[in-house]
Amino acid sequence: MIRGGDIAKGSVLLINSHPHIVVDREFVNPGKGAAFARVKAKNMRNGNVVTQTIKTQDEVEDAQVDLIDCQYQYSDAEHFVFMNNESFEQYFIPFPGHEDKKFYLQEGETYSILFYEGEAIDIKIPYKMVFTVTESENYVRGDTVSGATKPVVCETGLVVRVPLFIKQGEKILVNTETNEYQERVNS
Amino acid sequence: METRLLEERSRILTETRAFFLRRGYLETDTPALAPSLIPESCLEVFRTEYDNPFLGRMDLWLVPSPEVWMKPLIARYKRSVFQVCKCFRNSESVGRLHNPEFTMLEYYTVGADSGTSRELTEELFRACAGPDTPAWARPPFRRMTMAEAFREYTGLDLESLQDREALVEAGLGKGLLVPREASWEDAFNQVFLTLVEPSLPQDSPLALERYPAQIECLAADIPGTPWKDRWELYAGGMELCNCYTEASDPGAVRASFERESARKKSSRVPHRVDPGYPEIFTDFPPCSGVAMGFDRFVLALTGERDLSRLLPYPFARILEENKGVLRTP
Repeated sequence: MIRGGDIAKGSVLLINSHPHIVVDREFVNPGKGAAFARVKAKNMRNGNVVTQTIKTQDEVEDAQVDLIDCQYQYSDAEHFVFMNNESFEQYFIPFPGHEDKKFYLQEGETYSILFYEGEAIDIKIPYKMVFTVTESENYVRGDTVSGATKPVVCETGLVVRVPLFIKQGEKILVNTETNEYQERVNS
Repeated sequence: METRLLEERSRILTETRAFFLRRGYLETDTPALAPSLIPESCLEVFRTEYDNPFLGRMDLWLVPSPEVWMKPLIARYKRSVFQVCKCFRNSESVGRLHNPEFTMLEYYTVGADSGTSRELTEELFRACAGPDTPAWARPPFRRMTMAEAFREYTGLDLESLQDREALVEAGLGKGLLVPREASWEDAFNQVFLTLVEPSLPQDSPLALERYPAQIECLAADIPGTPWKDRWELYAGGMELCNCYTEASDPGAVRASFERESARKKSSRVPHRVDPGYPEIFTDFPPCSGVAMGFDRFVLALTGERDLSRLLPYPFARILEENKGVLRTP
């Protein structure tokens, strides 16, 4: 069980027996009322997002989950395929609810996978990741019409706005929550 | 913090004072420290102590609202009053819309009801609006009753759900995590905060009227209904103010004091309650009061929605910069 006041982004709740990961949480105090946590939680099985409000003093059921390091291998028509780094067991995570993750999955890289009752239910994307720029238009010096940045495409298809000096083939560090460029990485 | 917003705050404060003084309201200046407070189980307060080596010590509490001091003045002088002052609420979350120390604007109009207060508040918005005030913060206010909002956004008939078990059942039927043993008020809040409040229209300010009488407060009951004569104003998704036609029946106030004092026993920071306080209502004029979060009022009129843009020292930052001295709960 978890207290409403302890629920945070990333907590996994059991709602109608389905694991839901908390994607947003805010505390609300209605006029003349007790404190409540208002959470948005995503059903890990179908991707549906629900809103729930829980009194900060009340307890709700949480899901006992495990995090295991797995290597991303490839995606087939319906799944992302991972391999357990220790047991070499393969896991198939269906796309629904995780579509947006494809922009952050690089073959051969290790990710933490969230397991609930033996089932792989979520992929934890690192807060910052290095990407290679695969498509970038050349901007001439002095072209400031569009500001000091330009959009580039990375190897996963992720589009990031970067400073004009970044060229195709270079590596960049990106904040994966905001998709903001952080810095150029010297390889 | 933006200096532009501080300048706007100063302008709006000046306009607010001028607005009430023009209408003959008396500006009061009551203490921030009080030896007893009005019991409100929904609030936690700050405790402190007067400590004089010769006279002794006395427990004091920082006011969560100046109401405790202003109402005796209304009873004594029978005049409309207003005040802008710092108020303090403990234990609440800290963030975009909450700061434990904040500025409150309270105004009480003698001889008025909550409808008069709504019109007055619209006038105040008009007087204080600036060139940057967005449409969502400009009067006239849209009006909706709580029952209408429930019907519109949940399909539930709140008037017929006055029984605790029926409301808990209705909440569960909507897929909400309402505990079986939840009180009526908590079940109401869970449905309201999950399904109603996020759906309220935000294109103009909204006066949400007729709150359930089962939510304890010092607003007058609307006879023959399960409602109190109370409205709350929402603008841009922010709760800006709370208005009552004030309860003036000493018996009703005494009963409310007893119920809330009993609930207060489980609070984190208990405070003293003056059992003689309800006696001021034996000679209290008909009156309507509004308590407005002044910082949020400034946010709305400047089109902002985050206190950290307005406050030079938001408490969230004070907490962050002083983590080292934070003790575990």
